[in-house]
Amino acid sequence: MDRISPQTLRILALLVVLGLVVAFFASQIDNYFNARLFNRISSSVAIMALIACGQTLVILTRNIDLSVGSIVGFAAFATGNMVAGWPEISPLLLAGYAILVGACFGVVNGLLVAYARVPAIIVTLATMAIFRSLLVEYSGARSITSDTLPEWLVQFPNTVVFEVAGVQFRAAFVIAVLIVVAVHIALMRLRPARKFYAVGSNPEAAEMAGINIKATVFAAFVLSGALAGLAGFMFLARFGNITVVAGLGFELKSVAAAVVGGVNIFGGSGTVIGALIGAILVDLIETSLVRWPFVTEFWREAVLGALILMAVAVDAILMRRLIALRVRRERERKEAEAQ
Amino acid sequence: MLKFTKLSLTAALLAGTAGMASADAITLEPGMETDMVLLPKFLGILVFDQANEGAQEAHAELGNPGSLLFQGPTPENSVAGQIEIMTTAATNAVGAVLLSNNAGDQIAPAAEAAQAAGTRVVTWDSPIPGGAGEDVFVAQVDFGSIGVVMADMAHSILGGSGQMAVLSATPDAANQNAWIAAMQETLAADAKYADIELVDIVYGDDQAEVSYNRALARVDSHPDLGLIMAPTTVGIQAAAKAMQDEGLCDQVKTSGLGLPSEMVSYTMNGCAPEFALWDFRDLGYLTYYTAYGLATGQLTGEIGETFVAGRMGEYTIEEDPGREGSKRILMGPFTVYTADNVEAAAQ
Repeated sequence: MDRISPQTLRILALLVVLGLVVAFFASQIDNYFNARLFNRISSSVAIMALIACGQTLVILTRNIDLSVGSIVGFAAFATGNMVAGWPEISPLLLAGYAILVGACFGVVNGLLVAYARVPAIIVTLATMAIFRSLLVEYSGARSITSDTLPEWLVQFPNTVVFEVAGVQFRAAFVIAVLIVVAVHIALMRLRPARKFYAVGSNPEAAEMAGINIKATVFAAFVLSGALAGLAGFMFLARFGNITVVAGLGFELKSVAAAVVGGVNIFGGSGTVIGALIGAILVDLIETSLVRWPFVTEFWREAVLGALILMAVAVDAILMRRLIALRVRRERERKEAEAQ
Repeated sequence: MLKFTKLSLTAALLAGTAGMASADAITLEPGMETDMVLLPKFLGILVFDQANEGAQEAHAELGNPGSLLFQGPTPENSVAGQIEIMTTAATNAVGAVLLSNNAGDQIAPAAEAAQAAGTRVVTWDSPIPGGAGEDVFVAQVDFGSIGVVMADMAHSILGGSGQMAVLSATPDAANQNAWIAAMQETLAADAKYADIELVDIVYGDDQAEVSYNRALARVDSHPDLGLIMAPTTVGIQAAAKAMQDEGLCDQVKTSGLGLPSEMVSYTMNGCAPEFALWDFRDLGYLTYYTAYGLATGQLTGEIGETFVAGRMGEYTIEEDPGREGSKRILMGPFTVYTADNVEAAAQ
């Protein structure tokens, strides 16, 4: 217990909240807790996990990216358009194309925020609308349908990598988790990646320490765009049907996932693993509410909001308790040593 | 020529209006100048572009020297954007706004202001629910008959008995809500449907991902579910894809309103054996004729007025049975698509 870092504690607290939510709905909904539940949530979370991961990088630097939903939509459409015109394109090249499209939009955001010094909320609020309008223009009212997509792409998200007692770990989920874990390890261990935390927790100190703040913020937006682009690829593969509304509202869901996952909205602290669990929690609550007969359609959003607040509150209380417990243990141990 | 199977019942209903040869049908004088704005729910959806094609066809046919602008809001700004475009159109004193309403009754004040400024407001696809601010609604099909068609498709797919769930668009979409209500009435009224149980109504917000997840959630909460009925082109496709992805097509079928080009693969593989739709090009064409007649003063918009809408024949303005005090023009008919005709229609 003593060596566990606060960030690990937070992740443990989140897992407890996750367990509580599952237990609650299992007591309310018949036939709820089974392998299917895992399969549903994991398939659906694969996309949001990537977006929330990118969002976390941006939030860490004291910024926000509200354009990710539009980037997901555009990347999904552009990728679908690409593969429809060039069916024999290799899977890696296609995914690379999606990432490139997303990264280009990230460059626009990054330049405006980091170098033109326009506040991120203004820049990305504007680019959210601009990128969406570009999609409307680019699509020319056509939609991408799954029959124009190659078989491997449609099959890919549901390919079962391994299965334990009906619990399926599908390709999209496995890849998303691997990426989140890779980003997490990079943020914890690699010096260049630590800059995101340095810039967010104390910009002045970071500057004094010789960190290029502009380049770091720029990098955060480009990475966020690239991850949103990859999410667009996943979105295309999973839903097959892409219209101009693809990814609408994802920006707020990704912020919700990050915040629920313990990422500080004022920057400087939080983990991408936390954001992943946050994404799972939000999705779990949303999916379960649809099946909970006591909540009508009109109240669902409100109940979802209330439950998110509650999850954050319970998480904060648990955190405080765990830290207090640890401080007490520490004190007791020191007293024992002193005697 | 494409060969469609038309629902005999709907066809019979419509024969009453379309087939009546009346002596006093007004033939519209072409070549008069009036500016028009075609305002869809939002841009980027295929069916609205098809409606625009139809309207442009009528615009060219009538030789109107004025302009026909296809102006719509972006998807995330649909409600506010529609109200804004309506207001701007009135300020620019256009002759008519052709509106597929996505803003509920919220658009009524802007539409009434437009009317006061001399602009005629013709709705199509989705009306202004309360009817305020609207000259006439061009209904694609009789809203009551959509209920009958959906109930009949459910009956045929479920083989007369089973559980069905509805996957709609947004909870405040006037057209979908009216169709679902009509289907519920039909199900309750005829003993033929006694063994079909409507277990749930959910909303996918006309977004692929939301609709997809909602469809799967229905299957999870109702293990005996046999059919998902989606009266929206986005929802029906997402539901069919979800059932196909999870290998559930044998147990749970999908039906509702869909576009042949988007549904063809699901109809051929049995996931969505039957669905229906009307022609959005015709809807745009008829709406344009109506708006042109009103804006040029050749039609007054009174109940009982009959006019010739070019290649589509005669239509009469009548009272809207679904919305008291409002007027409509009924287009029709439905086309029901099955494995027999969907491939031809998808071309």
